[in-house]
Amino acid sequence: MTKYTDNLWKDLAREHGAVLALADRPEPGRARQLSPRVLAGGTLALAAVGAAVTLGLTSTGSTPAPTTVSTAAYTITQSSSGSVLVTISRSQSIVQASQKLANMGIDERVTIQMAPGVAPVSGPVACKAAPGVTGPPVKVLLGTNGTEVIPLNTTGQNTGVGSWHLASCQLTGDSRGTGNTGAG
Amino acid sequence: MSTETRAPVVTMRGQPAAVRTQSRGRPPSSPLEEFEQVYRRNVDVLMGYFARRCREPYTVADLTSETFVRAMDGFARFDPRRGSDRSWLFGIAAHVFARHCQQTAGGRAAAERLGGHRALDADEIEELAERIDAEREGAALMQRCARLPSVERAAIELVDLEGLSPREAALALGVSGVAFRKRLSRARSRLRKEHHGND
Repeated sequence: MTKYTDNLWKDLAREHGAVLALADRPEPGRARQLSPRVLAGGTLALAAVGAAVTLGLTSTGSTPAPTTVSTAAYTITQSSSGSVLVTISRSQSIVQASQKLANMGIDERVTIQMAPGVAPVSGPVACKAAPGVTGPPVKVLLGTNGTEVIPLNTTGQNTGVGSWHLASCQLTGDSRGTGNTGAG
Repeated sequence: MSTETRAPVVTMRGQPAAVRTQSRGRPPSSPLEEFEQVYRRNVDVLMGYFARRCREPYTVADLTSETFVRAMDGFARFDPRRGSDRSWLFGIAAHVFARHCQQTAGGRAAAERLGGHRALDADEIEELAERIDAEREGAALMQRCARLPSVERAAIELVDLEGLSPREAALALGVSGVAFRKRLSRARSRLRKEHHGND
Protein backbone atom coordinates (compact mmCIF):
# COMPACT_ATOMS: atom_id res chain seq x y z
CA MET A 1 0.00 0.00 0.00
CA THR A 2 1.17 3.46 -0.77
CA LYS A 3 0.42 6.70 0.94
CA TYR A 4 -2.16 7.47 -1.72
CA THR A 5 -4.00 4.16 -1.40
CA ASP A 6 -3.88 4.31 2.41
CA ASN A 7 -5.30 7.82 2.41
CA LEU A 8 -7.95 6.87 -0.12
CA TRP A 9 -9.07 4.01 2.09
CA LYS A 10 -9.29 6.30 5.11
CA ASP A 11 -11.47 8.70 3.11
CA LEU A 12 -13.69 5.91 1.80
CA ALA A 13 -14.13 4.37 5.24
CA ARG A 14 -14.88 7.72 6.81
CA GLU A 15 -17.35 8.90 4.19
CA HIS A 16 -19.03 5.65 3.19
CA GLY A 17 -18.19 3.18 5.92
CA ALA A 18 -21.29 3.78 8.02
CA VAL A 19 -23.64 2.49 5.34
CA LEU A 20 -21.39 -0.44 4.58
CA ALA A 21 -21.19 -1.38 8.24
CA LEU A 22 -24.90 -2.13 8.17
CA ALA A 23 -24.89 -4.04 4.89
CA ASP A 24 -26.25 -7.56 4.75
CA ARG A 25 -23.65 -9.66 3.01
CA PRO A 26 -24.18 -13.06 1.41
CA GLU A 27 -23.12 -15.70 3.86
CA PRO A 28 -20.21 -17.13 1.79
CA GLY A 29 -18.60 -13.74 1.99
CA ARG A 30 -18.93 -13.64 5.72
CA ALA A 31 -15.88 -15.29 7.07
CA ARG A 32 -16.90 -14.98 10.68
CA GLN A 33 -20.09 -16.65 11.72
CA LEU A 34 -21.23 -14.98 14.85
CA SER A 35 -22.56 -17.48 17.28
CA PRO A 36 -26.27 -16.80 17.65
CA ARG A 37 -27.25 -15.77 21.09
CA VAL A 38 -30.08 -18.23 21.24
CA LEU A 39 -32.88 -17.91 23.68
CA ALA A 40 -32.80 -21.32 25.27
CA GLY A 41 -36.30 -22.60 25.64
CA GLY A 42 -37.66 -20.11 23.15
CA THR A 43 -40.85 -18.49 24.23
CA LEU A 44 -40.98 -20.85 27.14
CA ALA A 45 -38.33 -18.73 28.74
CA LEU A 46 -40.63 -15.77 28.66
CA ALA A 47 -43.10 -17.50 30.91
CA ALA A 48 -41.03 -16.52 33.87
CA VAL A 49 -41.62 -13.02 35.04
CA GLY A 50 -38.52 -10.98 34.56
CA ALA A 51 -36.98 -13.39 32.08
CA ALA A 52 -33.97 -11.67 30.61
CA VAL A 53 -32.83 -11.71 27.04
CA THR A 54 -29.44 -10.43 26.02
CA LEU A 55 -27.91 -9.33 22.81
CA GLY A 56 -24.62 -7.83 21.77
CA LEU A 57 -24.70 -4.24 20.74
CA THR A 58 -22.14 -2.42 18.72
CA SER A 59 -20.89 0.69 20.34
CA THR A 60 -17.48 1.28 18.87
CA GLY A 61 -17.26 4.36 16.75
CA SER A 62 -19.93 6.89 15.96
CA THR A 63 -21.99 7.03 12.82
CA PRO A 64 -21.85 10.35 11.06
CA ALA A 65 -25.25 10.11 9.40
CA PRO A 66 -28.57 8.53 10.39
CA THR A 67 -28.60 4.94 9.25
CA THR A 68 -31.35 2.39 9.24
CA VAL A 69 -31.31 -1.28 8.48
CA SER A 70 -34.59 -3.10 8.43
CA THR A 71 -35.86 -6.65 8.06
CA ALA A 72 -39.17 -8.28 8.90
CA ALA A 73 -37.80 -9.22 12.31
CA TYR A 74 -36.10 -6.03 13.39
CA THR A 75 -35.17 -2.48 12.52
CA ILE A 76 -32.00 -0.84 13.74
CA THR A 77 -31.66 2.89 13.47
CA GLN A 78 -28.56 4.78 14.44
CA SER A 79 -29.02 8.52 14.57
CA SER A 80 -26.45 11.07 13.55
CA SER A 81 -25.64 11.53 17.22
CA GLY A 82 -24.81 7.83 17.50
CA SER A 83 -27.80 6.76 19.59
CA VAL A 84 -29.35 3.46 18.61
CA LEU A 85 -32.98 2.40 18.41
CA VAL A 86 -33.60 -1.33 18.10
CA THR A 87 -37.15 -2.24 17.15
CA ILE A 88 -38.00 -5.93 17.35
CA SER A 89 -41.20 -7.42 16.01
CA ARG A 90 -41.26 -9.91 18.87
CA SER A 91 -38.92 -10.80 21.68
CA GLN A 92 -37.52 -13.77 19.76
CA SER A 93 -36.33 -11.42 17.01
CA ILE A 94 -33.50 -10.48 19.30
CA VAL A 95 -31.54 -13.40 17.91
CA GLN A 96 -31.50 -11.91 14.41
CA ALA A 97 -31.05 -8.38 15.69
CA SER A 98 -28.13 -9.62 17.74
CA GLN A 99 -26.38 -10.98 14.68
CA LYS A 100 -26.85 -7.74 12.80
CA LEU A 101 -25.72 -5.62 15.69
CA ALA A 102 -22.63 -7.74 16.11
CA ASN A 103 -21.91 -7.24 12.43
CA MET A 104 -21.82 -3.55 13.22
CA GLY A 105 -18.91 -4.25 15.51
CA ILE A 106 -20.41 -3.48 18.88
CA ASP A 107 -19.13 -4.61 22.24
CA GLU A 108 -21.89 -3.91 24.69
CA ARG A 109 -24.71 -6.11 25.79
CA VAL A 110 -28.33 -5.16 25.97
CA THR A 111 -30.46 -7.09 28.38
CA ILE A 112 -34.20 -6.78 28.05
CA GLN A 113 -36.61 -8.03 30.63
CA MET A 114 -40.13 -9.10 29.86
CA ALA A 115 -43.09 -8.90 32.21
CA PRO A 116 -46.68 -10.07 31.81
CA GLY A 117 -49.42 -7.75 30.72
CA VAL A 118 -49.77 -4.82 28.40
CA ALA A 119 -47.11 -2.15 28.50
CA PRO A 120 -48.21 0.59 30.87
CA VAL A 121 -46.49 3.17 28.69
CA SER A 122 -46.41 2.82 24.93
CA GLY A 123 -43.11 3.32 23.13
CA PRO A 124 -39.46 2.38 23.35
CA VAL A 125 -37.65 1.63 26.58
CA ALA A 126 -34.37 3.40 27.24
CA CYS A 127 -31.61 1.07 28.35
CA LYS A 128 -29.90 1.90 31.59
CA ALA A 129 -26.14 1.86 31.20
CA ALA A 130 -24.07 0.05 33.78
CA PRO A 131 -21.12 1.92 35.33
CA GLY A 132 -18.22 2.09 32.91
CA VAL A 133 -20.30 1.68 29.78
CA THR A 134 -19.28 4.37 27.33
CA GLY A 135 -21.24 3.33 24.25
CA PRO A 136 -24.09 5.25 22.64
CA PRO A 137 -27.52 5.46 24.26
CA VAL A 138 -29.77 2.59 23.26
CA LYS A 139 -33.53 2.23 23.23
CA VAL A 140 -35.48 -0.91 22.47
CA LEU A 141 -39.01 -0.98 21.13
CA LEU A 142 -40.99 -4.21 21.13
CA GLY A 143 -43.56 -4.27 18.33
CA THR A 144 -45.22 -0.93 17.79
CA ASN A 145 -46.06 -0.08 21.36
CA GLY A 146 -43.95 -2.21 23.66
CA THR A 147 -46.39 -5.11 23.95
CA GLU A 148 -46.23 -8.58 22.44
CA VAL A 149 -49.24 -10.85 22.38
CA ILE A 150 -48.45 -14.55 22.24
CA PRO A 151 -51.49 -16.42 20.90
CA LEU A 152 -52.61 -19.89 21.83
CA ASN A 153 -50.88 -22.85 20.18
CA THR A 154 -47.80 -20.91 19.22
CA THR A 155 -45.54 -21.92 22.07
CA GLY A 156 -44.52 -25.17 23.64
CA GLN A 157 -47.24 -26.29 26.04
CA ASN A 158 -48.75 -22.88 25.47
CA THR A 159 -46.43 -21.46 28.06
CA GLY A 160 -46.21 -17.72 27.82
CA VAL A 161 -49.54 -17.27 26.09
CA GLY A 162 -50.96 -13.83 26.62
CA SER A 163 -49.69 -10.28 26.64
CA TRP A 164 -46.12 -9.45 27.54
CA HIS A 165 -44.36 -6.15 27.61
CA LEU A 166 -40.78 -5.04 27.58
CA ALA A 167 -40.34 -4.01 31.17
CA SER A 168 -36.75 -2.83 31.34
CA CYS A 169 -33.48 -2.76 29.53
CA GLN A 170 -29.87 -2.59 30.68
CA LEU A 171 -26.58 -1.94 28.93
CA THR A 172 -23.53 -3.72 30.27
CA GLY A 173 -19.98 -3.73 29.06
CA ASP A 174 -19.54 -7.38 28.21
CA SER A 175 -21.11 -8.78 25.05
CA ARG A 176 -19.32 -12.10 25.07
CA GLY A 177 -21.86 -13.95 27.14
CA THR A 178 -23.99 -16.72 25.77
CA GLY A 179 -27.18 -14.77 25.79
CA ASN A 180 -28.96 -17.70 27.36
CA THR A 181 -29.93 -15.78 30.40
CA GLY A 182 -33.57 -16.35 29.66
CA ALA A 183 -33.20 -20.08 29.98
CA GLY A 184 -34.85 -21.94 32.74
CA MET B 1 11.85 -11.10 -40.94
CA SER B 2 11.44 -12.66 -37.58
CA THR B 3 10.62 -16.31 -37.27
CA GLU B 4 9.30 -15.91 -33.79
CA THR B 5 5.98 -17.63 -33.37
CA ARG B 6 5.27 -16.72 -29.77
CA ALA B 7 2.27 -14.53 -29.32
CA PRO B 8 3.30 -10.95 -28.63
CA VAL B 9 0.91 -10.74 -25.76
CA VAL B 10 2.21 -12.03 -22.47
CA THR B 11 0.93 -11.94 -18.99
CA MET B 12 2.62 -8.99 -17.39
CA ARG B 13 1.32 -9.63 -13.95
CA GLY B 14 1.97 -13.01 -12.49
CA GLN B 15 -0.42 -12.51 -9.68
CA PRO B 16 -3.60 -14.52 -9.67
CA ALA B 17 -6.99 -12.92 -9.65
CA ALA B 18 -8.43 -11.81 -6.38
CA VAL B 19 -10.71 -14.75 -5.87
CA ARG B 20 -7.68 -16.93 -5.52
CA THR B 21 -5.83 -14.61 -3.19
CA GLN B 22 -7.50 -14.93 0.14
CA SER B 23 -5.92 -12.52 2.51
CA ARG B 24 -3.84 -13.83 5.32
CA GLY B 25 -4.55 -13.16 8.94
CA ARG B 26 -7.81 -13.11 10.78
CA PRO B 27 -11.02 -13.20 8.79
CA PRO B 28 -13.11 -10.03 8.46
CA SER B 29 -15.61 -9.42 11.22
CA SER B 30 -17.83 -6.90 9.44
CA PRO B 31 -18.77 -5.92 5.88
CA LEU B 32 -16.50 -2.90 6.23
CA GLU B 33 -13.52 -5.06 7.11
CA GLU B 34 -14.47 -7.46 4.35
CA PHE B 35 -14.56 -4.61 1.88
CA GLU B 36 -11.24 -3.31 3.15
CA GLN B 37 -9.68 -6.62 2.21
CA VAL B 38 -11.27 -6.37 -1.24
CA TYR B 39 -9.92 -2.85 -1.53
CA ARG B 40 -6.39 -3.77 -0.52
CA ARG B 41 -6.31 -6.73 -2.88
CA ASN B 42 -7.44 -4.69 -5.85
CA VAL B 43 -6.64 -1.04 -5.51
CA ASP B 44 -3.26 -1.32 -7.20
CA VAL B 45 -4.52 -3.16 -10.27
CA LEU B 46 -7.41 -0.75 -10.65
CA MET B 47 -5.05 2.19 -10.45
CA GLY B 48 -3.06 0.48 -13.19
CA TYR B 49 -6.21 0.06 -15.26
CA PHE B 50 -6.81 3.80 -15.17
CA ALA B 51 -3.12 4.67 -15.39
CA ARG B 52 -2.99 2.95 -18.79
CA ARG B 53 -5.77 5.20 -19.98
CA CYS B 54 -5.05 8.55 -18.40
CA ARG B 55 -1.84 10.51 -18.11
CA GLU B 56 -3.12 12.89 -15.48
CA PRO B 57 -2.57 11.79 -11.83
CA TYR B 58 -5.69 13.56 -10.62
CA THR B 59 -7.83 11.78 -13.19
CA VAL B 60 -6.40 8.41 -12.21
CA ALA B 61 -7.08 9.25 -8.58
CA ASP B 62 -10.62 10.41 -9.27
CA LEU B 63 -11.57 7.41 -11.37
CA THR B 64 -10.05 4.97 -8.86
CA SER B 65 -11.89 6.69 -6.05
CA GLU B 66 -15.17 6.74 -7.95
CA THR B 67 -14.87 3.03 -8.71
CA PHE B 68 -14.47 2.16 -5.05
CA VAL B 69 -17.25 4.49 -3.96
CA ARG B 70 -19.59 2.70 -6.35
CA ALA B 71 -18.28 -0.63 -5.18
CA MET B 72 -18.94 0.24 -1.55
CA ASP B 73 -22.46 1.30 -2.43
CA GLY B 74 -23.06 -2.01 -4.17
CA PHE B 75 -21.10 -4.30 -1.89
CA ALA B 76 -24.22 -5.58 -0.14
CA ARG B 77 -25.31 -7.04 -3.47
CA PHE B 78 -21.95 -8.49 -4.44
CA ASP B 79 -22.02 -12.27 -4.19
CA PRO B 80 -18.59 -13.94 -4.44
CA ARG B 81 -20.28 -17.16 -5.53
CA ARG B 82 -20.98 -15.50 -8.85
CA GLY B 83 -17.48 -14.29 -9.57
CA SER B 84 -14.34 -12.86 -8.05
CA ASP B 85 -14.23 -9.45 -6.46
CA ARG B 86 -11.64 -8.44 -9.03
CA SER B 87 -13.86 -9.22 -11.99
CA TRP B 88 -16.71 -7.39 -10.25
CA LEU B 89 -14.51 -4.35 -9.71
CA PHE B 90 -13.27 -4.35 -13.29
CA GLY B 91 -16.89 -4.34 -14.42
CA ILE B 92 -17.48 -1.23 -12.33
CA ALA B 93 -14.22 0.35 -13.50
CA ALA B 94 -15.21 -0.17 -17.13
CA HIS B 95 -18.48 1.67 -16.51
CA VAL B 96 -16.72 4.45 -14.65
CA PHE B 97 -14.23 4.91 -17.44
CA ALA B 98 -16.90 4.79 -20.16
CA ARG B 99 -18.83 7.48 -18.34
CA HIS B 100 -15.66 9.49 -17.92
CA CYS B 101 -15.05 9.33 -21.69
CA GLN B 102 -18.60 10.34 -22.50
CA GLN B 103 -18.48 13.29 -20.17
CA THR B 104 -15.01 14.33 -21.20
CA ALA B 105 -16.20 14.26 -24.80
CA GLY B 106 -19.08 16.43 -23.66
CA GLY B 107 -16.62 18.98 -22.38
CA ARG B 108 -17.05 18.44 -18.68
CA ALA B 109 -13.88 18.30 -16.68
CA ALA B 110 -13.33 15.37 -14.36
CA ALA B 111 -13.16 17.62 -11.33
CA GLU B 112 -16.52 19.12 -12.21
CA ARG B 113 -18.14 15.73 -12.75
CA LEU B 114 -16.86 14.33 -9.52
CA GLY B 115 -17.63 17.36 -7.44
CA GLY B 116 -14.03 18.40 -7.10
CA HIS B 117 -10.77 16.56 -6.76
CA ARG B 118 -9.89 14.69 -3.63
CA ALA B 119 -7.00 16.67 -2.23
CA LEU B 120 -3.66 15.03 -2.97
CA ASP B 121 -0.36 16.02 -1.46
CA ALA B 122 2.90 16.08 -3.38
CA ASP B 123 3.86 12.55 -2.33
CA GLU B 124 0.58 11.13 -3.53
CA ILE B 125 0.83 12.93 -6.86
CA GLU B 126 4.33 11.58 -7.28
CA GLU B 127 3.16 8.05 -6.47
CA LEU B 128 0.40 8.32 -9.03
CA ALA B 129 2.77 9.72 -11.64
CA GLU B 130 5.11 6.80 -11.01
CA ARG B 131 2.20 4.41 -11.38
CA ILE B 132 1.29 5.98 -14.70
CA ASP B 133 4.89 5.71 -15.78
CA ALA B 134 5.02 2.05 -14.74
CA GLU B 135 2.07 1.33 -16.97
CA ARG B 136 3.83 2.55 -20.10
CA GLU B 137 4.28 -0.98 -21.43
CA GLY B 138 0.69 -1.81 -20.77
CA ALA B 139 -0.42 1.44 -22.30
CA ALA B 140 1.70 0.67 -25.37
CA LEU B 141 0.05 -2.71 -25.67
CA MET B 142 -3.35 -1.11 -25.42
CA GLN B 143 -2.28 1.28 -28.16
CA ARG B 144 -1.49 -1.70 -30.33
CA CYS B 145 -4.93 -3.04 -29.54
CA ALA B 146 -6.58 0.21 -30.52
CA ARG B 147 -7.83 -1.16 -33.80
CA LEU B 148 -9.44 -4.17 -32.16
CA PRO B 149 -13.12 -4.11 -31.27
CA SER B 150 -13.61 -2.91 -27.73
CA VAL B 151 -14.53 -6.29 -26.28
CA GLU B 152 -11.47 -7.93 -27.83
CA ARG B 153 -9.30 -5.14 -26.52
CA ALA B 154 -10.75 -5.55 -23.06
CA ALA B 155 -10.29 -9.32 -23.29
CA ILE B 156 -6.59 -8.91 -23.96
CA GLU B 157 -6.23 -6.43 -21.15
CA LEU B 158 -8.08 -8.35 -18.46
CA VAL B 159 -6.57 -11.73 -19.22
CA ASP B 160 -3.09 -10.93 -20.49
CA LEU B 161 -2.36 -7.83 -18.49
CA GLU B 162 -4.36 -8.28 -15.33
CA GLY B 163 -4.23 -12.04 -15.01
CA LEU B 164 -7.95 -12.67 -14.73
CA SER B 165 -9.15 -16.06 -15.84
CA PRO B 166 -11.25 -16.05 -19.02
CA ARG B 167 -14.31 -16.82 -16.91
CA GLU B 168 -13.66 -13.89 -14.58
CA ALA B 169 -12.99 -11.56 -17.49
CA ALA B 170 -16.18 -12.70 -19.21
CA LEU B 171 -18.10 -11.87 -16.03
CA ALA B 172 -16.48 -8.46 -15.84
CA LEU B 173 -17.45 -7.72 -19.43
CA GLY B 174 -20.91 -9.22 -19.16
CA VAL B 175 -20.46 -11.70 -22.01
CA SER B 176 -20.77 -15.47 -22.06
CA GLY B 177 -17.71 -17.60 -21.45
CA VAL B 178 -17.88 -19.16 -24.90
CA ALA B 179 -18.22 -15.83 -26.67
CA PHE B 180 -15.41 -14.42 -24.58
CA ARG B 181 -12.99 -17.23 -25.42
CA LYS B 182 -13.70 -16.77 -29.13
CA ARG B 183 -13.04 -13.08 -28.88
CA LEU B 184 -9.90 -13.55 -26.86
CA SER B 185 -8.58 -16.07 -29.34
CA ARG B 186 -9.47 -13.80 -32.25
CA ALA B 187 -7.81 -10.82 -30.59
CA ARG B 188 -4.61 -12.72 -29.90
CA SER B 189 -4.57 -14.01 -33.45
CA ARG B 190 -4.96 -10.51 -34.85
CA LEU B 191 -2.20 -9.15 -32.65
CA ARG B 192 0.07 -12.01 -33.61
CA LYS B 193 -0.49 -11.35 -37.31
CA GLU B 194 0.04 -7.68 -36.83
CA HIS B 195 3.23 -8.34 -34.88
CA HIS B 196 4.60 -10.58 -37.64
CA GLY B 197 3.54 -8.10 -40.26
CA ASN B 198 5.51 -5.40 -38.53
CA ASP B 199 8.57 -7.65 -38.48
